[in-house]
Amino acid sequence: MFYFDWAVFWQYLYPPTAFQNPLVRNGFILTVAASVIAQALGVLLGVIAALAKMSKLAPLRGLADLYVWYFRGTPLLVQMSFLYFGLGVTHIYGFPDFHFGIVTVTGAVQAGILALAINEGAYMAEIVRAGIEAIDPGQMEAAKSLGMTYGKAMQRIILPQAAKVIVPPLGNEFNNMMKTTSLMAVISAGELYYAFTQINARIFAPFELFLVASIYYLFLTTVWSLIQSRIEASLGERKGIERAPGMLQRLFAGH
Amino acid sequence: MSTLSKPASVEQIDSTMIVKAHRVNKSFGSLQVLKDVSLEVRKNEVVVIIGPSGSGKSTLLRCINHLEKIDSGHIFVNGRMIGYYERGGKLYEESEGNIARQRADIGMVFQRFNLFPHLTVMENIIEAPVNVRKMSKAQSRSDAEQLLTRVGLYDKRDNYPNQLSGGQQQRVAIARALAMKPSLMLFDEPTSALDPEMIGEVLDVMKELAREITMIVVSHEMGFARAAADRILFIDEGRIIEDTTPDQLFANPREERTRAFLSKILH
Repeated sequence: MFYFDWAVFWQYLYPPTAFQNPLVRNGFILTVAASVIAQALGVLLGVIAALAKMSKLAPLRGLADLYVWYFRGTPLLVQMSFLYFGLGVTHIYGFPDFHFGIVTVTGAVQAGILALAINEGAYMAEIVRAGIEAIDPGQMEAAKSLGMTYGKAMQRIILPQAAKVIVPPLGNEFNNMMKTTSLMAVISAGELYYAFTQINARIFAPFELFLVASIYYLFLTTVWSLIQSRIEASLGERKGIERAPGMLQRLFAGH
Repeated sequence: MSTLSKPASVEQIDSTMIVKAHRVNKSFGSLQVLKDVSLEVRKNEVVVIIGPSGSGKSTLLRCINHLEKIDSGHIFVNGRMIGYYERGGKLYEESEGNIARQRADIGMVFQRFNLFPHLTVMENIIEAPVNVRKMSKAQSRSDAEQLLTRVGLYDKRDNYPNQLSGGQQQRVAIARALAMKPSLMLFDEPTSALDPEMIGEVLDVMKELAREITMIVVSHEMGFARAAADRILFIDEGRIIEDTTPDQLFANPREERTRAFLSKILH
């Protein structure tokens, strides 16, 4: 017979008690921080890769294609292990821990975030490129005719417009990112999922603990959906286009 | 880089010569759209270019500010070769920065307006003066206000382009180009995308402008040509086959092809 252990469930769900456990506290913080940092770096890499893909210089295009090909064509789990364990044994880079005052960023965390970011960059590259290509070529011509260089026209005219096209898929990417950080457990980076596997190893309550872990992730993704629909609505209002689908629609629409 | 005949020397061009195109050739793939086109436009002249669609008139305009590369020949604006420099008898494409600097002095108005939709009318106009000319925002704003008053759209300064009619957008586009204080204005079919009732307001602004600035206008608005043009060029199959005054052209076109074309557009 299985008895649902309410005491364990509430202890790890209810924040004041759950966050007394450093594994949960640090895991939660790391999941959020890693998502934000990896997504931000991923967007940056994506913009660079997208511009490289559209470059006039063939070697640059080739490099960008290679990047997207590899990182979209192999599992993130493999990329992360390769980066952390693989690079470690070659002594190319061993991911030493960084200490900032009381905060220590372990090598595993660095490697995990880096792998997430590089992987995300490959997906963002396609999203950014599609966003840029959605902008009327007349915009670039108008910018050039006013004396702007390609770079300035991109920065001032094209990318701000492409950003609006990119926001909805970017929001979905971030939603995925928060869940995908759980893969960092494979290199013991200590995020939320890893925290619950460690606690489970001690007290063995997989049903209660992973249910609690699910609720944490669900909380994060739901809060994000709310923020995302706000952002999209405000973008839409300014341009006078119709409102983005509401949050309930978004939650249950399956994307 | 392009191959070329003997270059026209810069010294031949006096200060009243705004545009000088010399034996310009341009192909898209196997289709040659400009065939040995030569053209001179002097300061304050207003030149209207007409011709059947696909005749090369828009391409010629776009070569003048190097939105299109040319295969051979030379184009000078204000005595400087556009888009290329010469070394050892060969032409090489200019650096991007230099091309941008050259374009800053040449205003262009497009058929589809191409206003920046994420910027207000005011921001559209001051964008290049502030970020290309590095003028102060205050100065750019006061200049922009004058230009907007001139095109009759001062009260629309804080609107976004999609809140304006086509005619209003095109007038903003003209103001935006003028804000750079260009020495030459190029108009690429500026009224072709407009509803008929809006054509007049744009042409009125252009007529006003024609008194004080050098203009090359690709347009089939014969009323405008008659009222404002000093010369009309008729281009067909990549060649300028007629270059004359509006009166002369309408009264007595030299070429049969011109006659046939005019009878079509004048109904």
